[in-house]
Amino acid sequence: MKRLIPYFKRYRRDVWLALLSVIVLVFATLWQPRLLQVIMNAIIKNDQTTVLYQGMLLLGLAVLGIIGGVVNTIYSAKVALGVATDLRADLYAKVQTLAFADVEKFSASNLVVRMTNDINQVQQIVMASFQQITRIPLLFIGAFILAVVTMPEQWWVIIVMMLLIVAAAVFAMRRMTVYFGQTQQDIENVNTVARENLMGIRVVKSFVQEPNEIRKFSEKSDELTAVTAKIGYWFAILMPIFFLTANLAVGVAVYLVGQSITTHPGYLAAITSFISYLMQILYAVINGGFLMTFAARAFISIGRIDEVLATEPSMQYVPDGTDHVSGEISFEHVTFTYPGDDRPTLRDVSFTVPAGSMLGIVGATGSGKTTLAQLIARLYDPDAGQIKIGGVDVRDLPEKTLRATVAYVLQRSTLFSGTIAGNLRQVKPDAQVRQMQWAANVAQSAEFIERLPQTYDAPVEERSQNFSGGQKQRLAITRGVIANPEILILDDATSALDARSEKLVQEALDRELKRTTTIVIAEKIASIIRADQILVLDNGRIAGQGTHQTLLQSSAIYQAIYQTQKAREEGLK
Amino acid sequence: MSDLKIAGKYYWHYLKRYWRGFAISVILIAFSTWCIVIAPTYLGRAVEELTQYLQQWTNPATRGQASLGSFNHTLVIYVLLYAGDAASIFISSLILARVTAYSTGTMRVGLFRKMQRMRVQYFDTHSDGDILARFTSDLDNIFNAMNQALLEILLAVAQFVGLLIVMFNQNVTMAWVTMASTPVALIVAALVMRKAGVAVNRQQDDIGRLNGYINEQITGQKILITNGLQQDSLKGFHAYNAKVRQSALSGQIWSGILNPLMQGMSLLNTAIVIFFGSWLALNGQMSTGAALALVVVFVNYAQQYYQPIMSLTSLYSMIQLAITGARRVDEVRRQPDEVNPTDGLALQGIDSGLKIDNVRFSYVPDKEILHGITIDVHPGEMVALVGPTGSGKTTVMNLLNRFYDVDSGRITFDGTDIRRFDLQALRKNVGIVLQEPQLFTGTIADNIRYGDPTARMERVIAAAKQANIHDFIVSLPAGYETEVSDEQSIFSAGQKQLMSIARTILTNPRLLILDEATSNVDTVTEANIQAAMDNVIQGRTSFVIAHRLKTILNADKIVVLKDGAIIEQGNHAQLLNENGFYAELYRNQMVFD
Repeated sequence: MKRLIPYFKRYRRDVWLALLSVIVLVFATLWQPRLLQVIMNAIIKNDQTTVLYQGMLLLGLAVLGIIGGVVNTIYSAKVALGVATDLRADLYAKVQTLAFADVEKFSASNLVVRMTNDINQVQQIVMASFQQITRIPLLFIGAFILAVVTMPEQWWVIIVMMLLIVAAAVFAMRRMTVYFGQTQQDIENVNTVARENLMGIRVVKSFVQEPNEIRKFSEKSDELTAVTAKIGYWFAILMPIFFLTANLAVGVAVYLVGQSITTHPGYLAAITSFISYLMQILYAVINGGFLMTFAARAFISIGRIDEVLATEPSMQYVPDGTDHVSGEISFEHVTFTYPGDDRPTLRDVSFTVPAGSMLGIVGATGSGKTTLAQLIARLYDPDAGQIKIGGVDVRDLPEKTLRATVAYVLQRSTLFSGTIAGNLRQVKPDAQVRQMQWAANVAQSAEFIERLPQTYDAPVEERSQNFSGGQKQRLAITRGVIANPEILILDDATSALDARSEKLVQEALDRELKRTTTIVIAEKIASIIRADQILVLDNGRIAGQGTHQTLLQSSAIYQAIYQTQKAREEGLK
Repeated sequence: MSDLKIAGKYYWHYLKRYWRGFAISVILIAFSTWCIVIAPTYLGRAVEELTQYLQQWTNPATRGQASLGSFNHTLVIYVLLYAGDAASIFISSLILARVTAYSTGTMRVGLFRKMQRMRVQYFDTHSDGDILARFTSDLDNIFNAMNQALLEILLAVAQFVGLLIVMFNQNVTMAWVTMASTPVALIVAALVMRKAGVAVNRQQDDIGRLNGYINEQITGQKILITNGLQQDSLKGFHAYNAKVRQSALSGQIWSGILNPLMQGMSLLNTAIVIFFGSWLALNGQMSTGAALALVVVFVNYAQQYYQPIMSLTSLYSMIQLAITGARRVDEVRRQPDEVNPTDGLALQGIDSGLKIDNVRFSYVPDKEILHGITIDVHPGEMVALVGPTGSGKTTVMNLLNRFYDVDSGRITFDGTDIRRFDLQALRKNVGIVLQEPQLFTGTIADNIRYGDPTARMERVIAAAKQANIHDFIVSLPAGYETEVSDEQSIFSAGQKQLMSIARTILTNPRLLILDEATSNVDTVTEANIQAAMDNVIQGRTSFVIAHRLKTILNADKIVVLKDGAIIEQGNHAQLLNENGFYAELYRNQMVFD
């Protein structure tokens, strides 16, 4: 909750108005029985003028109550929306300062949930706070005081009633909490079976397992049904007990009034107001209980938001330094372990790539190829050793320089929704159509872009789903080359391209980006066969280094990979 | 049909079997309502009797006769009425809780059963998330509404009716006074609800767009970071966030204002009743006691009068959600089932061969995918399907075990149209290894014996050995008893494929269809899979959907598909000689010295 205080301060005026109006509303609600009592007395005394006057007051009070309620809603909403949107903005800004390792630690989908669902929870609880939570204690205390003032002798009736109600609630809640926990588990089980069957519907059908799956699902579903029924039974007993207790209290109170009516004849007019106050207390207790469970959920959300806001980015950039480096890359005894892993993904890796040359990296899945590339782009920092670009340790490069030097194209790097030009201008803000054409020609995307009705202003849908797999990759490469970077990393970025397009891309890169150091990570030997230098990775170590020809002689692993891709009919060329 | 009508039918279908429970509940609720509306009159009478007692007691002449006896008696009845109310509400809540839990359970299992009977087409044309939402949020909404609304609606209606009756019985003028503000309240409620509907819709649209943006950007955080785009991303976010602030404010206000307005109306109504009641008490021909009683009773009624209206308005959005939920679940219920022939033929094996005979097929009308395909397969042959994405390779697989049925032409096993076989028998004889194999929660052994849950352990191990995955499994601490699920990544993509092969080997199918894994498998792992595939293909008729040609060089027959038509057919050597599409493809994929 402390996390929210600075946000409330920004909406000080709205907060005060919301609180003030809630007090007006509570006053109107609680004062009505009081006026009723006065009127009842007037009826007994047959006092017309008082009845008329108090009656007008009563109407005025009701109108005041309505105004209070409306004003309260408006300002509560203002505070709730203000706090929620500001908090979301700060959360988003925070995430944008985090290092990639931090994002991975939370996981992207988890962060999205925090920015959407959790923020929504906060908005709802803030709204409820100003509409309800402030009102409930006020109503409760107010009703209690007024009830005691109305019939001082009967304070204990109220206390006993409350104790009984709270005892019943606590007793029932204890049992229900157990069931609630169980429901969560049961829901998860049911959903798991449903999800697996959805995703594997072809497997289920082709193995003719429908009856077994239905049996499995029914079992899980029946467990859930049984628990929900139990919770229902407890609720079924709770509410009648509350109301019965309250009405018993009313009966006892009225009985006691009857016994002492001769000493307190004034109580005759007070009975109705006293009952009203008793009922207000009852409602306050019940609503309070509901809100408490609601608030508990919101506190969890606030905690989750707080966790992100309190995270210090695990990677810092130097504020300033050199703004230009060459495309030479060197790894010196680099070892790297992913956070949470117990074995290093890269071990003692050393190599040098001269500026303007091409490096190919091959190796089995999990051998560390992508990790190596990510270290160059400084998505992570190594545990030991140094990575240098243009002779400078990457940790000594300002963020701007690093991003301008290294372009990293991933296998699944789609464009963001918007337009093609918009995406390209994100990387090169002053890009003219001529430059876009140049980049598109290099990436072999010009042929389909220029066939689109809006060419470079063509829309890109979410996840670039209006383009085919090969087109997506070519668009990503276009974005990668448009700023003519010193270093271009293609991380399996041509896997969906046919051989002809891939060859054209490589030729264009050779021709148009002569100065650029190119790193190509690929499954296909054909993609890296022309590289000046090829690294063979095996379990995080360099198992071979050289050109295609030398590796065929020296590296058994490279040979094995090559064998699986080698054509049998040599004469086919 | 309107949503309301569909929802009505849906609930009727699932709830009619509980009619006894509903009947008892309605009777009990009517009884409790009677208790509640009658009780205040006893309170009124108690006050009246107390007033008389006080008057008698104050007058020295009558003090001797003054007695609290009837007052006490009235109070006892008052408390008993509430006890009756509590008891009957308790029992009917119990019944309704049971009905709610069990009917939702039946709906859930019903939805799942339906899912198992539906055609694959439905799953291919709807996203998993959307179908799953019907199990989760839609059934949840239905449950919540029944759980809270069922009793409340019954109570509200009963209370309202009961209240009207008793009010008019007590005092017609006062009854009209109590009801006077109702039209105003209803009009206000209707106006606010309409405004709220519009505002909330706009709010949801804007929130949807904002969430979409956040999702896309954060999922692409790697791209943002490597391109240094964090500040751009933040700028885009602010635009969406500002929009949400505006539209959500009006959504929040309009949807939040109804409750305080109705509470305010209730306050105002009580004030009017007090005002008018006391005027009537003073100017009518009533004893003080009766006048006081009248005010007490009607104040009580006025406070109760708005409760049914308030609870109905606060349930409005919940009921709305439940109607939408029922509509969405019912939509699934009305999907066509798979066609299984009555008196389907048994299928023992494939002796004389399989023929795909001039088959045409389209997923969507007028967009034909296969334009008359004919493939002849002899028993034990391996047929490879090759071709670019979208050529129709996978479609052929979909037709072979009737995930879809042909538009024209036919597929025959030993000369018999496969649509004449019993569907289960057909599928038991056709084994499939899918490109993205789904594992199920359970042990590794359970997953391997998925197609035959009664299979002994020896068979499981034999299948794993043939699929080249046995060594890996025994290297795990719990071996075959290791718990797995599809989300857990004990297995790499390649190993998952091997599991899928083992699963298929165990069922010993006559016809085998292998959809090769495409990406995320390096070529060395691929060779491993290849060996397992060779094992399983041995001695069976098989179709292999090949993405890498390396795996199918030995095929008896290679069928090259392009744009839904067969363009080349033959074995590897023949096709290379033709020097056409296949030869070009082959050259592209292989490395040549």
